[in-house]
This record gives sequence, structure tokens and C-alpha cells, in this order.
Amino acid sequence: MLTRLLSDRRLLLVALIVVTVLGMAVFVPTALQPGILLNMSKFGVVVGILAIGQTVVILTGRGNIDLSVGSTLSLAGVILALLATSGVNVWLAAVAAIAVGALLGAVNGLLVTVIGVPALIGTIGTLFLYGSAALVLSGGIAIGGFVTDGFSVISYGTLAGAPFQLIFVMIPLYLIVGFLLSSTRWGRAIYEVGNNDRAATLVGLSPVGVRMSAFVLSGTLAGVGAVVMTAWLLTSRPEAGAGLELMALVVAVFGGTHIFGGRGTLSGTFLAVVLVTLLNTGMQMAGIEQTWQRGVLGALLVGAVLLNNFLGQHRS
Amino acid sequence: MSTATSTSSRHTLGEAFVGRAEQIRRAAIFVLLGAQFLLFSLLLPNFLTAGNLQNIAVRAAPLAIVAAVMTLILLLGAIDVSVGSMLGVLAWVVGTLTVADLGVATVLAAVLLAGAAMGSVNGLIVGKGKVLPIVGTLGMLFVWRAVVYGLWDNSDVFAPPLLPVLTDRVAGIPVSLFVVAVVYAAVWYVLRFRPYGRHVYAVGNDAEAARLVGINVDRVIISTYALLGLAVAVASVFYMSRTGVVQAFTGEWFELGVIASVLIGGTRITGGRGSVIGTLGGVCFVATLENGIVLMGVPSLWNDFALGAMILIAVSADALISRRTAAKGAQG
Repeated sequence: MLTRLLSDRRLLLVALIVVTVLGMAVFVPTALQPGILLNMSKFGVVVGILAIGQTVVILTGRGNIDLSVGSTLSLAGVILALLATSGVNVWLAAVAAIAVGALLGAVNGLLVTVIGVPALIGTIGTLFLYGSAALVLSGGIAIGGFVTDGFSVISYGTLAGAPFQLIFVMIPLYLIVGFLLSSTRWGRAIYEVGNNDRAATLVGLSPVGVRMSAFVLSGTLAGVGAVVMTAWLLTSRPEAGAGLELMALVVAVFGGTHIFGGRGTLSGTFLAVVLVTLLNTGMQMAGIEQTWQRGVLGALLVGAVLLNNFLGQHRS
Repeated sequence: MSTATSTSSRHTLGEAFVGRAEQIRRAAIFVLLGAQFLLFSLLLPNFLTAGNLQNIAVRAAPLAIVAAVMTLILLLGAIDVSVGSMLGVLAWVVGTLTVADLGVATVLAAVLLAGAAMGSVNGLIVGKGKVLPIVGTLGMLFVWRAVVYGLWDNSDVFAPPLLPVLTDRVAGIPVSLFVVAVVYAAVWYVLRFRPYGRHVYAVGNDAEAARLVGINVDRVIISTYALLGLAVAVASVFYMSRTGVVQAFTGEWFELGVIASVLIGGTRITGGRGSVIGTLGGVCFVATLENGIVLMGVPSLWNDFALGAMILIAVSADALISRRTAAKGAQG
């Protein structure tokens, strides 16, 4: 009974969200004010956007994973700020940052699908490469002070109290990619390739093309994440994305996406983003340092996979 | 390894090509190392001096020791990205216990025990818990880092060297070099002549087949991770002898150099193939690169960039070679 209940991850997540909210009500009641929650959602938005790409990449199977999303975000953000400070219109620079993200995603895709490097080490290589490129390009310092041209509206504009980046960026992205996954040929191809490479080839799908598209999507979304983060902080730190790959991975795996692909839903990922954002808000308000927060997330990641494996054994 | 040779007789042409490519790949690190030495000697007047080479050797000891055992982990088809955070925890243990003046033997026993315990935790997660090594150890990277942070608690630990002899020289040769030589000889011997070494290769080539021939796969995995923890413990003693201080970020990015050394040295990320001799070449390359970049006056930020690029080049070459292998196999 318990295992069956747990096997739809979304039920478990809803339960955990309720428990977390109750826990916050007891220990850090101040964190539950709408103003604070909506403000903290800005952080959740960045993670949530990256987690979409991570989910899709993991769904394509073969142990695919994108560990470079944090560094991609850093590098795209640095390029955005460099362009903007050199006089390029900030909106144009934002478009360029998204294009850079797509390009970096394509490099990952080439490494993994065309050359055949296992994704975990290929994207760890690019994690280091993109991350250090961001440091080298920026000289290791934060870049700010560009003309914003109303750019910050993405993060500071609100509709009924909710930040624009939540209602006009993250939620639409979840709806669009969720629709694409559930109702289009491309979405079915993602799941089929993830479930069974050979069978997918036999029905005329190209696993290389499908996986490539997933990595490009992930990179592009990291570019979008860079835009959102820069609009929020109005400065680009070369290490802005450090640790975000962990968050995105935790969220995707916690959301019930099977680490070997083929199984998982974007709605699960969405619920996991809500949970992780709540946890973060709670820890932040309780004055827990970031290093501790990441430690908790690391433990959650290991725990989530152990749970997935345990449930998987019971089912088979 | 034996499965590879038994099927090879059927497609000899393909195997000949693959054999050649393999040989070139294996030799590549030493050619690379030679080219690097030549280049740095020509460009940098201070490079080829006894003092500088000794300096490289002393600095590289922690990297070399951990990379030797990381080779075993990669041979298993696994990875451990948490060694940098583990180094932070264990360096704190060494530093704090040294300051507490507990005596060399006690400190060594404590740090080795702690290292083995931490390695075993990683090993249990991967071996028993069946968590994908990259995911499990990425999680533990942040968990161990939080542990460093908690132990450090806003006060840097300054400690005198536990074993001052480790940074000494005998007849011009740093003592650390002798220890590194012993570690590599031991790992090489075990891989080549002990059943455990054969088990490591067998698990890395095909874990299911290894299980069928009666190898306790979980135990091999867990014990190798425990061994890695021990290696990090030894490395932390060297690290503290040289630097004498532990901070919140001690050990950050250490894993990059370690993994780069093993991969550049020719060990396959997919397991089953590689050697500790190649890793030694990789360690020399990585340590010399860092030194050369510093001597050139290039910002050290470029060092990580170069290592990231080297990792990608090495794994791309390996992937292309095994792709050729598969293609030739399919034709034959």
C-alpha cells in the first residue's frame, strides 16, 4: 500500500510540501508571509527553469545528464553583462546570452551524441570549461553598472504581487515544454528514445537528433536562466551558477524522473521545485548558511535516488 | 580483458587497427609530457632547475596519491567527485588533532580511520544503494563540504606539520617522491598480480559477468571506495605538512586535477581499461602544467580552463577509438 502510494511521486511531493509548510509554520512562521515567499520564488524560478532542461535530458536515457547547466548560466550571464557594458542594448545582449546558451548546449550535445562521450564526464568537462571561461572572461570579478533600459522589469515587475519572471517566464515554459512532452511527436520521441534506443530507431526516430535537441534545450534554458538572474541581481558574477547544477539535478530526480531515462513528468519536476524553494526559504529565514543548504540538498539527492531504487526493486 | 581477446580472432583487421589506436592512446600521455617539458624548458628559464622540480614534486604529492586510487575507481566504471570536500574534512582532522598535541601515531590512526569511514559511506551509496556514482558522489561533494564548513566554524586552523620529514629532501630528492613511488608500485602490483586487481578489471568490463563468475561485486566496489578514502587521508597529511592551514574552502576543485590526471593518463571513463602508470604520467602533466602557468605569469584561472579542455580532449579521443572498435566489430 505504502509503496503503491509512493510510486506516484507527485502524491509524495504534495505530502512533503504540506509537511514542509507545517514545519515552517512552527519553526519559522515569518517565512510564510506572501511577500517573502514571492520574493524567494525568484530564486526558485532560476532553478525551475534549469530543471526543465535537466528533466528532458535525463528522460532521453543512456545515463544522459547535464551537469554543465550552472556553468552555462554563469558564462551566458558574463557574456550578457560584457555586451551590455560595452554599449550593446541590454535586450539585445539578453538575446545573445540565450543564443550562447543554445550554442553551449549544442557543444554538449555534440560531445555526447556525435562523439559518444558519456554524458556524465562530457558535461563535467564542460562544467569546468564553461565555468573557468566565465572566470577568465570576467577576470574573476562581478560585472555590473550597465544601462538597464527597464531590463529589471523581468524580475521586479509584479502582477498581483507575483514577480513577472514567475508568471511570464517560468510558468509559461513549464506549460509549453509540458505540452510538447505530452502531446507532440517530439515529446513521444524523447520518451521512446529514453525507454528503448533500438526500438525507437526501428520506428524511424533518430536517437542522435532527439538527444541533441534535449541538450540544446537545456543549454538554451540555462541562457534564459542567466537573463532572469541578471535582471534580478543587475550584475553578473562569474560564479553565479555554481551549485545550480546540483539544484537542478535534485529537483529533476526528486520530481520522480528516473535517472536512466524514459520515465518522469514535468509536473513532478514542478512540484519538486516548489518543495525545494520552500525548503530553501525556510532555511534562509532560519539563518542557515548556504553551504549547509547545499549539504542538505546533496543529502536529499542521494536520499531521493536511494528511494527511487528501493521503490524500483519493490515493483519488479 | 579475457572476453576482448577471445572474440578478437574473428576480425583481425579491425583488431589490428584498434590495437594500434590503443597503443597510440596509451603512449600519448608520455609524448604529451615530453612536449610539455621541452616547451616549458625553452620558454621558462626557471623551469628546469632542481629547486623548481622539487617544488613540483612536493606540491603534487596529494594529487598523485589520490589519483593512484582514483584509477581503480575509474577502472570499476565508477567515479568519485567528492574527494576535494573529503580532503577538506580530513585536513581539518589532521590540523585540529595536531594542534591538540595527541602524538603522531594517534593523529595518523584517527585520520586514516576517518578517511576509510568516509570512503565507505560513498562506497555503500554506490555499491549497496546502486546510486549512479556521479550522482551519489556529487551529492556527497556538497554533504562533505557542509561537514567541512561545520567543523571549520568560522575559525581557520593553523597547525605545524605533523610529519616535517614529508617536505624534506634526501640527496636532493623530496621524501614525498619516495612515498608516491611506493604507492604507485603497490597499486601497480595489486592490479597486476593480486586477485583483487583482476576483480577490479572484471567488474569494470562487465559487472554482470563478474557476478556470474562468483566475484562479490558490491564488496569490490565498497572496498575500493574505502581505499580511496584512505588515500585522501594520506594526501591530507601531505597537504597539511605543506600548507599548515585549513579554511572553509580547503580542497575545493581538487577533484578536477585528480580526475583529469587519470583520464589524460588513458584510463577509460567507461571502466575496464587503463593503468596506474598512465595515471602517473597524467599526474606529472597536470602538476607541471600548473607550475608552468604560474611561472609564465598567466592568471591561474587559465589552469582550470586548460584542465577542463584536456579532460574533454582525452574522453573524446577515447570515445572515438571505441566507436571505431564497435564499427569494425560490426563489419567483421
